[in-house]
Amino acid sequence: MQVDRSFIREVEERSGQRFGACFHCMACSGGCPVSDIMDYLPNQIVRMMQLGMRREVLESRAIWVCVGCYSCVSQCPNRVHIPYMMDALRELALEEGVKIGEPDIWTFHREFLKQVDKRGRVYELEFMARYKLATLSLFNDMGSGMKMLFNGRLELLPHRVKKLQEIRKIREVCYGKK
Amino acid sequence: MEKNENAPVPEGYVPHPRVYYYPGCSLMSTARDLGESLFQMARLVGSWLEELKDWNCCGASPAHSVNQNYAILLAGRNLVLAERQGIKDLFVICPSCFVRLRTAAKTLMADEDKNALLEEAVGKRYQGSVRLRFFLEVGSASQMNVFRQAVVNPLKGLKGVLYFGCLLTRPEWITGFDVLPYEDELRSFVESMGVETLDWGYGKQCCGAHLALTKPDHVDSLVDRIRDHARRVGANCMISFCPLCQVNMELRGKNSEPLPVFYVSELIGMACRLPRTEKWIRKHLVDPRKLLAEHNLL
Ligand code: SF4
Ligand code: SF4
Repeated sequence: MQVDRSFIREVEERSGQRFGACFHCMACSGGCPVSDIMDYLPNQIVRMMQLGMRREVLESRAIWVCVGCYSCVSQCPNRVHIPYMMDALRELALEEGVKIGEPDIWTFHREFLKQVDKRGRVYELEFMARYKLATLSLFNDMGSGMKMLFNGRLELLPHRVKKLQEIRKIREVCYGKK
Repeated sequence: MEKNENAPVPEGYVPHPRVYYYPGCSLMSTARDLGESLFQMARLVGSWLEELKDWNCCGASPAHSVNQNYAILLAGRNLVLAERQGIKDLFVICPSCFVRLRTAAKTLMADEDKNALLEEAVGKRYQGSVRLRFFLEVGSASQMNVFRQAVVNPLKGLKGVLYFGCLLTRPEWITGFDVLPYEDELRSFVESMGVETLDWGYGKQCCGAHLALTKPDHVDSLVDRIRDHARRVGANCMISFCPLCQVNMELRGKNSEPLPVFYVSELIGMACRLPRTEKWIRKHLVDPRKLLAEHNLL
């Protein structure tokens, strides 16, 4: 295992958090609704960063499974903002091109953002279809999608932002020109 | 000018009838029932709901999950639009959009570089003049009274648990709600529609949010646990504030019997017999008509 001392500083910088404040009381992990399906608990991620385990953290599934529900923040006695940490870690994982721990969740985010990029708004019908195509999970869950469609809860036509050039420009300044 | 306390105020008078709102992507689709009931609710107090013109998606979870600047700028564009359109109070419908917009507003005011980035993209910095408010805050005391007075069909027989979900009140330094009084207020409001509210411990448990698509099994078990507890305290319906929670609660879960999940605005619609109630009631994924008929509420 490679120990990377600069890793935790980088994450502190990006997330605006100070992880020295964490005393591993595990309040964050205890209240986390998705801890069951995490490979490492939120405070374990903090510990691993303290130990310089860069690759293990960036390739973890935990960072993708976190839904940003803020339960952990409300419970942390030191107000360590775990979801901001998770944001920073996913960003780094993508930048460094490491193996993504939860490819389907990344696909979900990516397809969603493609919608935003295309119209400035999300057209749920197309979004769901594309997500399903991309993950080949086409026939799971058809029932619930159909139910929403027939109940008139999915939009039949997409809406778009008028000044789409502004949305494109936002993407450009955040991601660099493509 | 001095306020004249004795001036006659017509019943139901609302000082600022124009209410600007940010709908968010789900309001016109998966949360259409919320949208429609909301318009009726606004009409009742005589306000005019006006959409933020040319709004864009706030980025939701995906944007902040993978590129923090992108999240701030997407949400930030809406703030700049509001400023350009001279909007002082912008009401946000979805708790998740609300947190995104609030976070962007705070970040942009604190971080010059990010604000400069926003300017580069949309040609203007955010000045910080927009007050972001959650839509239920429309209910200033006087307006809430308008609703209370309009109740003609008290929803006797509905026993509900308030399901706030993750983001409605959390974390306080972002939402800005003084949490306990706010929760009490919502509860007393729901009660004044005639609904009996029950105590339970799962009001803020996460519904699993977008993992419903990527990790359906896990979300099923989260929903089962929440709904099971709602049933155990004797609820026959749940009251939700967030479009995503509402869909997950009605659609997911395998081992617990589904419960109808209402929005507060729908309760108002039913209790005050607002027009077109029947139309959005039908859009529920768990049909509430049986429950409502049992108690003669339709
Ligand atoms: S709750 Fe806060 S202090 Fe406790 S382990 Fe988690 S991050 Fe560390
Ligand atoms: S924000 Fe993420 S880590 Fe924190 S409790 Fe929610 S899912 Fe768990």
